[in-house]
Amino acid sequence: MSGLDAAGARRWAEAFLDAAERDAEALGDLDRKAGDGDFGTNLVTSVRASRARLGDGPLALPADAFSALSAAFMATGGTSGPLFGMWYRELARAAGDGPEIATDGLAAGLAAGLAVVRRLGGAEVGDKTMVDAMAPAAEAVAAAAESGADVVAALTAAARAARAGAEETASLVARRGRASYVGEVARGIVDPGAATLALFLESGAAAVADPNPVGEHRRSED
Amino acid sequence: MTRRQFVNDPQDHVREGLAGFELANARLVRWNRDPSYVVRATPARASKVGLLSGGGSGHEPLHTGFVGEGMLDAAVPGAIFSSPTVEQVEAATRAVDAGAGVLHIVKNYTGDKLNFSIAAELVADDGIEVATVVVADDLATDSDDPGLPGRRGTAAVVTVEKVCGAAAERGASLAELKALGERVADGSRSMALALAAPAHPGEGQPSFELLDGEVEFGVGIHGERGIGRTSFASADELAASLTTPVADALDLVAGDEVIAIVNGLGATHPIELNVVFGAAAGVLERRGVEVARALVGPYVTALDMAGCSVTLTRADAEILDLWDAPVRTPGLTW
Repeated sequence: MSGLDAAGARRWAEAFLDAAERDAEALGDLDRKAGDGDFGTNLVTSVRASRARLGDGPLALPADAFSALSAAFMATGGTSGPLFGMWYRELARAAGDGPEIATDGLAAGLAAGLAVVRRLGGAEVGDKTMVDAMAPAAEAVAAAAESGADVVAALTAAARAARAGAEETASLVARRGRASYVGEVARGIVDPGAATLALFLESGAAAVADPNPVGEHRRSED
Repeated sequence: MTRRQFVNDPQDHVREGLAGFELANARLVRWNRDPSYVVRATPARASKVGLLSGGGSGHEPLHTGFVGEGMLDAAVPGAIFSSPTVEQVEAATRAVDAGAGVLHIVKNYTGDKLNFSIAAELVADDGIEVATVVVADDLATDSDDPGLPGRRGTAAVVTVEKVCGAAAERGASLAELKALGERVADGSRSMALALAAPAHPGEGQPSFELLDGEVEFGVGIHGERGIGRTSFASADELAASLTTPVADALDLVAGDEVIAIVNGLGATHPIELNVVFGAAAGVLERRGVEVARALVGPYVTALDMAGCSVTLTRADAEILDLWDAPVRTPGLTW
């Protein structure tokens, strides 16, 4: 068993939504210090819409979990919501209609997602945005795919890389996004978009590893 | 001093406003509630290019007031001063596509551009062709720095919507409309000043305070600070302070023709706007510039901000002919 199936993708999405709702206020605080303060409320809106779109029934395909997140985030205002929506959309497209996502599929999705966010948002690594977490995560999974690692190992590496990238945004001055309007004031503050991206990948790494092994075809009932 | 307004629950303000707007203009428009967008009550003929604009609410009559024959096919209202969502723009784009493609007319703001461009990508998957005109007329935020967002989109969007709307009714193609819209937008500049800041629905406190002797110069349409404080002065002097830099930026010389908009920002009386227009026309006349057409009134507001903007658009025979074409919308009719 090396791939991520529909049940595993649902556990990943649900674990992320739980974590995002738990941390929404803290992430919103980061935005109040460095942006325009609407990140937390928009995130909660996206999380609730995601739960509604995921529903309770079993998913047919792993791509369905990412499609649900994509549609929900794109129905939320602001700029980070739609960019996350497009990023999830690339994960879903890379997963296609396959019953499982393997490491190379995940690598393709993360690479395409990074490309679309860079193109639409105009941000590069070092601009203090979500790209600072997306880019190292994509690199880590590409390396994992190269070495033949399974999805759990790949996600664990991606989560570690994304978190490190997010933490580094604290030392940066923003050049894109809302934080660019406040300049030096935002130095020392982690970019909430990058932190949310790290949270998503950490949730994935935890949810597809123990205690709910991938492929067991059951949903977590918490 | 607390600003009093007609507000129920501020959370419901935009939707209640849209409900009333639809009721009052039922012969002209229909409001699709979810996702939220306003379309013509009677759709345009098949094969016409669809025209869609939108942006944050709080700028009424922009954009919903310009839905109807001769202007937009639909408008997408976001929350107060916030971009509409991808979901709204995507749904409205699909609703107005009659097979000839859809023109997005977008004011130059990061969120608006992002959400419209993502929606354009999503509908492209289904073969709907979208072209985009970005309107960026506000001189106050003009900059050569590519790292900055540049000129904001303000009242020139009305001129773009009117001219492109008329051309679309006459059968112009999507590519022709994009070229025309960009020509009108490129030939337009604006400048605004505030006499008092706006207050958000239910908030009661204005977004900034001004002393008696001050005006906020170079304001946008979101209640943000301008580029500087200048002294309060007579209407003639204030009008000249707006008109002269706009005319300079367009390099207007004797013999040039313009369409002029003196736009109220929400709380300024029509008599005042006409006084400003008279003064602005005088400034232009002294340069030998002819005001070929004019619009005076609150068209692009910033909630209840007191103040006005002056927008000039270089005109030629084609643009004036399209400007004069019939229009029948809640906000503009002739």
